[in-house]
Parts: sequence; C-alpha cells; structure tokens
Amino acid sequence: MTQLPDGARDKPPGTIKLIGIGQSLRGDDAAGLAAVRLWQEKYQAENARPNLQVELAELPGIGLLGMINGAKIAILVDAVRSNNQAGTIHLLSTDQLEAFKDGAGSAHGWGVAETLALGKQLMPLAMPETIYVIGIEAGELSLGEALSPEVELVLPEAANLIERLLTNG
Amino acid sequence: MNQDIHIPALARVEGEGALTIRLKDGAVDEILLNIYEPPRFFEGFLHGRYFQDVPDITARICGICPVAYQMSSVQALEAALQVSITQEVRQLRQLLYCAEYIESHALHIYLLQAPDLVKLESAISLAAEAPELVKQGLRLKKIGNDLLKTIGGRSVHPVNTCVGGFYRWPAEQAIHDLVPELEWARQASIDTVKWAATLNYPDFEQDYEFVALNLIDEYAIYDGYILSSNGKRIAPLDFEKHYIESHVERSNALHSHTADNHTYFVGPLARLNLNHKKLRPMAKAAVKEISLKFPLRNPYKGLLARAIELVHTCDLAIELANEYQPQGPCHVEFNIQPGEGVGVSEAPRGLLYHRYVVDEQGLIRFARITPPTAQNFAQMESDLWALAPTAILQSQEEASLTFEHLLRSYDPCISCATHFLKLNIEKE
Repeated sequence: MTQLPDGARDKPPGTIKLIGIGQSLRGDDAAGLAAVRLWQEKYQAENARPNLQVELAELPGIGLLGMINGAKIAILVDAVRSNNQAGTIHLLSTDQLEAFKDGAGSAHGWGVAETLALGKQLMPLAMPETIYVIGIEAGELSLGEALSPEVELVLPEAANLIERLLTNG
Repeated sequence: MNQDIHIPALARVEGEGALTIRLKDGAVDEILLNIYEPPRFFEGFLHGRYFQDVPDITARICGICPVAYQMSSVQALEAALQVSITQEVRQLRQLLYCAEYIESHALHIYLLQAPDLVKLESAISLAAEAPELVKQGLRLKKIGNDLLKTIGGRSVHPVNTCVGGFYRWPAEQAIHDLVPELEWARQASIDTVKWAATLNYPDFEQDYEFVALNLIDEYAIYDGYILSSNGKRIAPLDFEKHYIESHVERSNALHSHTADNHTYFVGPLARLNLNHKKLRPMAKAAVKEISLKFPLRNPYKGLLARAIELVHTCDLAIELANEYQPQGPCHVEFNIQPGEGVGVSEAPRGLLYHRYVVDEQGLIRFARITPPTAQNFAQMESDLWALAPTAILQSQEEASLTFEHLLRSYDPCISCATHFLKLNIEKE
C-alpha cells in the first residue's frame, strides 16, 4: 500500500463550506454576505485551503441543503433577529437555531433554521458533521442596499470569527 | 365561534401579509387581507436606468420566479426597441422557463400546499410521516435549480438573459448532461400527478373568470395572446384597457379587476383550463389516466394543475435540451431608438405584464409591472367571503386554518405583488 507522506491524515480532509446568506437589497439582511466578502478580502489569500468552498447565497431557501450536502463542516453566516442590539454576533449551534425560526421574511417560509431542520430529518447522513451558524443581529431590514452603522462596525469581528473557526474549528 | 379571527402573519407564503375576519351578530362583517410587506418601489428604481440593466434588476423582485421577471421585461424592451430575437434564443429562453417551473412548482406542491391537504402542520411534519415523498420534491426542485444555474449562471437570480438574447451560450455538454436527471424528473412528475389525484381537496368551487396566455400551437408560457374564459382574446398591448389596477387603502399591494369591475383568476388553474388541449402528449396522458374533467373550479386543485404542468415542462425541457446545439450569435445587434413596448409571460403563479418607455439614450422613462399575485388578490378576497359563512361555524383555530389553506392554495407571492405604481394615486 502506498505510504502517505508525513503529516497527511489517514483520509483526505472533508470539504468545508463557507456560505454567506442574505438579501443585498434589504438593509441588514445583507450582513452575512458582507461579512463573508470582508473575510475574503482580509484573510482568503493568507492561507491556501484547497478543501474550502466559499459561496454567497441570496435567498437560497431549501437550495441551501444542496449547497452543504456532503460537506464535512459548514459555516453559515446570516443576519438574525432576536431581541438583542443590532450588531450583536451570535455563534449558534443548530439546536439553538430553533429560536430563530421565522419563516415570514424568507423565501416562501424557508429560512436557514427550517431548512437545516428539514435536512436533519430527511438526510441526516448527507448533512455536515459540524455546522456553525454565525448570526449577525440585524437592525434595519427595510429596502435599500446600505447596512446600518451598528452592523457595519462589527463586520471585522465577524470576519475574524470566520477565520478562527476555519483555523481551529 | 363568536370571536374575530386574526392571523397576524400568514405562514408558508412568500412575503408578509395578514388576514382579519371581523364578525358582527354572528355573521361576517368585514374581511381584510392586509399586505404589510414594505412596498417594493421597483418601478421607481428603474427610472433613468439603462435598458440593459432591467432584466437583472427585475429578477430581484422574487427569489422563486426571477426568470418570469426577466422574460416579461426583455420581451417588453425588445418590443420597445424593435428587436427581433432568433429562434435559438427563444428556445433557450423556453428551456430556462421550464427550469423555473420545475423548481417553483416542486416547492409549492411538496413543501407549501401538500402539508395542508394531508392535515399536517408543515413540510417538516410531512417529512417525518412520508420522507420519500418530500425527498422526491426536493430532488425535483434541485433539478430545476441545476438547469437554471446552467443557463443563467446562478440557481437564484440568474444573470445571463439580456435584451436581444443571452450574454453567452451555456456549454452544450453541460445542458445535455442534465437530460438523465430531467428524465427522472418527468417520471417523478407523472407519479406526482397520480399521487395528487388521491388527495382530499376541500369541497369548494366558484364560477371564476380565468385569464391566461394562449397560443394556437403550443401551451403558452413564454409569450402569447391574452385569453379569458369569457371568450375574450386580446393582444398584450391592450392589457391595461381590459385589466385595471387600483389602490386599496389597507394594503401595500395593488388590486386588479376587469374593466367591467369583476375579479379574475390567473395561474396554473387558469392556464390548464384554457389551454389543456395544447399540453404535450405525455401530460395529456397523465390527465387521461386520472380521468380529470375540465374546467377545474376548485382553487385547491391548483396543486393538481401544477403537477400536470410539471409533466409538461419536464417533457418540453428534455426535448429542448436534447436539441440544444447553438450555431448563431447568442444575441442580436441593434441600434437604440426611443420607443414603448409591453411584454407578457406566464410566471408559475400566473400572467406577468411589463410595460416600458425607453428614451433615445436607452434610459427607462416609465415602467409598469403587474405581477400575478396582485391580479389574484381581489379574487382571493372574494373566495374568502364565499368560504366564510361555513368556516366561522368551526372553532377559532380550525377556521383560521381553513382560511390559511385557501390562501396558500393560490401560492401567493406577496413580495412580488407589493408595489405602488404612483404615490399620487393616494392623494387623488
């Protein structure tokens, strides 16, 4: 049997999917897209990660399942609404997402929380072993392209969190 | 039941809306279908924009039916600029439209309306009871999205369509590679029709005026004349003379009526009732196998109509994909000239009308977009009135569900429908 070079794992590392989710025409709903773009500008060139795939997904709905299908780790970055201050960054497990189920604002009632719950039920083996959800608390969700200043301010912190998860997660 | 019903947020519909039914002395006094999603000033956004930006901007109106907005807008602009597209371009646009029908219809059939008809709370509950059924729906939807991505560059909000054609031809092999999955989808759609025929639809029929596009020799989706079940057949240019939009105070969406002030119904039921003789043979065979009789006047059977259209569009997509072998230029060259034009196509939810005025520099000076859900709002309210006397005999919870089921059967796309034509309408 061919010997693997020193340092190589017994099996190839699985794919990591980093996905920014949101709507660019609806204020802070674009926070996840903006955070991933900033991570790309600041960090992507620093470390070659051949197993990393990055996507910006506007309104993926249940199409999100196809995007994360088969990946080992998924990092999803999205705007969330709870009762916290705009710009608060949450690092959530999929179990904690239950609190963010709110279909009304997403494409035909399929938000990230509902989609992951459906995936877990229908295709548990194809779902990533680990899913991190970085939620950025949205302030303004009315029509328009600009992020609110509170959300703009925390984008570097969100990009740094993405990088730390990629390095240590 | 003697309390008012208030559903503050309609679930499993696109966008944000609410429904209030007010009772007085045990009878229905008021029905308010309230659309509170912020109005989408897309028509305003387009003012002063270069005509070639329009298809990509209007595609953003909806994440489920972006192709429809591209198809109606490019046709309106091609009419305004007197551009004739090639047959190759028309065929690829038809294929792109098939992709949208497959993903949109699969979503509504399996994940939005089916749970209501089997008396389950959501698709997640349905997935627990019938996982293979929901998996089939998800695979169908993915096939539609994959085809959409192959032609349009992205699975949501595609970007390849332009006035005059496409920015580039998709790779031939990439299209041909999708045929085996489309063949699976066609068989799955035939199975979907059989399954849909076994569902228990609420007993509710109305005497609707159905309106849909119509062509002599094909099941009209991409373009056509406007046909009404009352026999009227008009050219797209005359749409605004016959179908009038008006502002309703409580709602952010415009409501539509015929010129003689009647409600009308657009969407899959209208298309199927008016055009079932033009279905492809395989879809006709599926209709025959379940012994379906036309016209269908039960709005809940929109699910059945969508299933039949899935067979039709999968079959058409297979033919178009197999024949795809572009030879000529992907778009035609033309000179910019001032003009006005309209474009109509059949979005999955029904007839979608666009009208634009373009100036000598190619800038948009006027835009009007009339989406299908806005045309159906008045009909939905009329149905709610018809349903209410029996629904209010139920418990509060059951009655709320009854009303929600009816609205979901229309597959309303509230985000698409909320727009103002002119703010000064309110002041008049």
